[in-house]
Amino acid sequence: MEALELAMSIYTLIPLLPLAAALTLTLFGERLQGKGHRIVIPAVAASFLVSVLAFINVSANGAIEVQLYRFLDVGQFKVDLGFFIDQLTVLILLLVTGVSTIVQVYSSRYMTGDRRHSRFFALTALFTAAMTLLVMSSNLLLTFIFWEVMGICSYLLISHYAERLPAARAATKVFLVNSVADVGLGIGVILTYLTFGTLDIPEILNLAKAGGEYSTQSITLLTLCLFCGAIGKSAQMPAHVWLPFAMEAPTPVSALIHAATMVNAGPFLLVRLSPIIVLSPTAMMVIAAVGATTAVFAALVSLTQTDVKRTLAYSTISQLGFMTLLCGVGAFVAAIFHLIAHGFFKAFLFLSTGDILADTHRHLEEEDNTKLPATKSLFIGAFILSVVPPLIIFSGPYRYLWLSQDFTEANVVLWIVSLGTIFVTAMYLFRSITTVFRRGPPGAIDGTATVTPKLFSGRQVLGMIILATAMVAVLVAVWRWFAGFLSPAVGGIPSRETVEFSIWILIPLAVALAGWTIAYIRHTRPRSLETPVWKKRLYVFFLNKGYFDEVYDVFLVGSTINFANWMWRKIDQSIIDRFVGSIASATLSVARRLGVLDSAVDSRVMTLGSGTISAALWLGKFGDTAGISKPVEELGRGVDASRRAARKYEPHTLQHNILVIVFWLIIALGFFYWITV
Amino acid sequence: MSSLFADHILSWMIAVPFIGMVALMFLRERSWVLYTALGTTLINAALAFYLWMSFDLIENGQQFVERVEWMPTFGIQYAVGVDGISLLLVLLTAFLPPLCILSSWESITTRLKAFMMLILLVEGAMLVVFTALDAFLFFMMWEVTMIPMYFMIVLWGGPNRVAAGLKYVIYSLTGSLLLLMGILGLSLQAGTFDIQALSQFSYSPNSEFWIFIALFLGFAIKLPMLPFHTWLPDAHSEAPTAGSVLLAGVLLKMGGYGLIRFCLPIFPEMAHSFAPFVLWLSVAGILYGGYMALAQTDLKRLVAYSSVSHMGFVTLGIFSFNNEGVEGAILQMVTHGLTTGAMFLIVGQLYDRTHSRSIADYGGLQQRMPRFVAILSLFAVASFGLPTTSNFIGEFLILVGVSYQNFAFVVFAMGGIVLGAAYMLWMLQRVAFGEPRTEAARKLTDLDFREMLTVTPLAIAIIAIGVYPGPLLEAMDSSVTFVVERLAEV
Repeated sequence: MEALELAMSIYTLIPLLPLAAALTLTLFGERLQGKGHRIVIPAVAASFLVSVLAFINVSANGAIEVQLYRFLDVGQFKVDLGFFIDQLTVLILLLVTGVSTIVQVYSSRYMTGDRRHSRFFALTALFTAAMTLLVMSSNLLLTFIFWEVMGICSYLLISHYAERLPAARAATKVFLVNSVADVGLGIGVILTYLTFGTLDIPEILNLAKAGGEYSTQSITLLTLCLFCGAIGKSAQMPAHVWLPFAMEAPTPVSALIHAATMVNAGPFLLVRLSPIIVLSPTAMMVIAAVGATTAVFAALVSLTQTDVKRTLAYSTISQLGFMTLLCGVGAFVAAIFHLIAHGFFKAFLFLSTGDILADTHRHLEEEDNTKLPATKSLFIGAFILSVVPPLIIFSGPYRYLWLSQDFTEANVVLWIVSLGTIFVTAMYLFRSITTVFRRGPPGAIDGTATVTPKLFSGRQVLGMIILATAMVAVLVAVWRWFAGFLSPAVGGIPSRETVEFSIWILIPLAVALAGWTIAYIRHTRPRSLETPVWKKRLYVFFLNKGYFDEVYDVFLVGSTINFANWMWRKIDQSIIDRFVGSIASATLSVARRLGVLDSAVDSRVMTLGSGTISAALWLGKFGDTAGISKPVEELGRGVDASRRAARKYEPHTLQHNILVIVFWLIIALGFFYWITV
Repeated sequence: MSSLFADHILSWMIAVPFIGMVALMFLRERSWVLYTALGTTLINAALAFYLWMSFDLIENGQQFVERVEWMPTFGIQYAVGVDGISLLLVLLTAFLPPLCILSSWESITTRLKAFMMLILLVEGAMLVVFTALDAFLFFMMWEVTMIPMYFMIVLWGGPNRVAAGLKYVIYSLTGSLLLLMGILGLSLQAGTFDIQALSQFSYSPNSEFWIFIALFLGFAIKLPMLPFHTWLPDAHSEAPTAGSVLLAGVLLKMGGYGLIRFCLPIFPEMAHSFAPFVLWLSVAGILYGGYMALAQTDLKRLVAYSSVSHMGFVTLGIFSFNNEGVEGAILQMVTHGLTTGAMFLIVGQLYDRTHSRSIADYGGLQQRMPRFVAILSLFAVASFGLPTTSNFIGEFLILVGVSYQNFAFVVFAMGGIVLGAAYMLWMLQRVAFGEPRTEAARKLTDLDFREMLTVTPLAIAIIAIGVYPGPLLEAMDSSVTFVVERLAEV
């Protein structure tokens, strides 16, 4: 029994180790400057090892629950802090801690000599810890808490280069977009509590699976509110604008955000709560629609961007759109499969880009990049990335989504949109890679100066074909095991019977291949100057990312600040303050008119006062004279000053003042009349 | 002899600041004055800690009660005691003054002794307000807190201090007048000033209405609620650092405390019938304060308007009439005292260096003052209620509490939190990041040991409450349940 408890408490080490590392670096950062990675890397690596242990345990014995302490206990509202580690959690844990370890190792070189070395490593460790806590927490409130903690980590990491004002602006923007979306999540958490009477995740899932008496309406509402949070964190439309701005952070952070932490929280939440989500077909349809729109829009934007990092950002948005779409159509297992595959490949892509960027500074089109070694690996990563989603979405397991009993117009639309997105994905990935490979400066647009890259030598083509075949084989093999492993942890349609792939797999592969081919032809052919106007317009529209940023800046941010300024000047200062000012001035001026009477009293008080002061002075001989008389003097001076200030208030006529006083008198008299009745 | 201490712990706590004041009178050396004042407040903090440790969590009534006849003809007593609700506020009152004194260590250059005496006077009076069991004693000390605050603003304040002080006094006096009418109205009917006895008396329906209005307005002005808030930004921004901290940290809490102590238990029916109105006003206050803060260009005014927003949460919680809401509101009062006090402290440290409160005069502080920016960031995010900091617990409990009443409030209040994030982060962006905008901002020095000593306890408390709020909630649970059950009887 004791051994069991020990084994359980070991899992608290998964978040605790990075957390401790972060704390150490925060407290002793100045002394450890430049050595932060020596603490963080072992901590995160150890937490990866514990995750492996958890994985072994879960695959043998099923879900683990760990109780730590009671967090809140007020009235009927009780929250226990604890961990709920099931199949879903361990998979994400492996991804998070694994990618995080790689990123930390990579950063130890990348961040050498940085001014804020310790700060960087403390924050990435904290970021990792927050993500692990988010996926492990057994309570929805704690999920919400660490959801927000990740937000602030990203804020602090994006503002890493604090001297750069764009970095600071980007950080603020990222956090605010997220916090607007998190309002939805917060409301969703409270709605969940009101609907189910608890926030304990295993309990909620059991209640939802048992399918009690919940009205579809309230389930739809709470699901959509929770999804709102996922829209924010996973950069779905219309909250997708933050992810490209997050690129202001050092490149390893981008790898962390895109691959391991942050954006994965959205699909994770949807899959975690899948038993609730499947209760509401309306919510599922909304989720699928948002996912599909995001996927295709972001892919098109990605096709037009000139900055490799931004291309990658929009490609992440597009891939996350795929995951959301998968959740929306009920393919939760496939969503997580894609999430993990995407996580590893995206981390790989970013780390390869980071090497290039470190040398060339962002705008790759202006450089000769052929000699860079990282580009080859970049190419492989991109290739894999464009192959993974079609394999999953259109392959056997989910063909019934498009074909059999669920065959509806909506599904046809989703099917076409997905195929289109795969096509565009293949194109933009090709394009961004060839940009990196370009030899020589771009020169004139007519194509004379552009040298065709020797991308496809015979050996490379052969390599590609072998790689693709191997990839498909590996994915098919992994998938069979994966679906069986994960299905107990998700709600909705069990996928055990449908793990087999079928001939349908060829359609998406063909589409992807078509995308690659067209991109290749367009790339090798000289570009003509004559383009139709509509094409140019379309290009400019997507180049400017659909003008989302501009619309938000003008209509949301600008108008809010203008409204705030207007309220302050007009309402706070002009109406409320002036009203009080008039009462004050009325009281004062009447007081001044009574001053004749007052002065008579005054002289008596003065006599009394001087008597007191002389008594005090006499007393002061025993103590400290200045100690008493000086403060008294000061107080007197203060009173004097306020009397002078009071004279400034006199903008109103006597009639007005008397009216105000009478008003007050009526209130006071009425009061005493009523209480004696 | 031990009983002389243990049985009269509250009286000791109240007496210590006054003894310290008398002691200060006889001192002349600057360092002696400082250390005596600091020592006095530290003794009180230790006593408060002892009080907390020996507090009985199960008991829902008043503990450590002391009663002495004072003016028997009017039925006025010196009666003090603490229950779970006042315990938290007493702890807060004892915790902040040492930090105030540390923060004034160098910045108060003139009339130091008088300043320290005023701080001690406020502390002593506040302790009586939060422990008084007699309405007259309560009112008297309520008045006493106003005077030292006024002089702190007028004598040590900023350039516009006299007008701000005057505004503060006018508002406070109006509130006090209403409060006096209310308390007199109560005791004229019930024939006693004892607060517990007052709450058991049944008043005539007409008088009930008017007395409730008078008391409510008195507390609402102090709190301050929405239309009565304009004294607060002026007073806060013109007061010296220690004054702002005391004002925001402790004095505002008298309003919320009064609502829980007087309005709810004495007039449960009235409270119920007024609740919708108050709740809407609170939500309006949350949003209004947020918008106002967004428009500010002055650091201290920004923090002051954020207080208006946070106090909206307090009334929102109190008038949701359930454990979640009321406990959240009390916790929110305590944590607002910590975070806003912390904000004023840290802004004051910046003000000490440059004598400018304008956001536009800074920028790029991260380069010269990394420690300062780290602490400022922590306080800023705590102030808008980032989870794992203390404010989140209070705000979330309030939201849960009010969600039982009407879900619309939750939605609006959440909007207030987003506004909070917006103005705080925008401020942080303009102050801490980018390049310095003025020559003065380029030459700043980072926080020294004393300044770190001032803010570190607050930082620790903010995180500790955010991660482990259990002990504080436990301490007030039974007392709040007592109040809530009285309300549920109606």
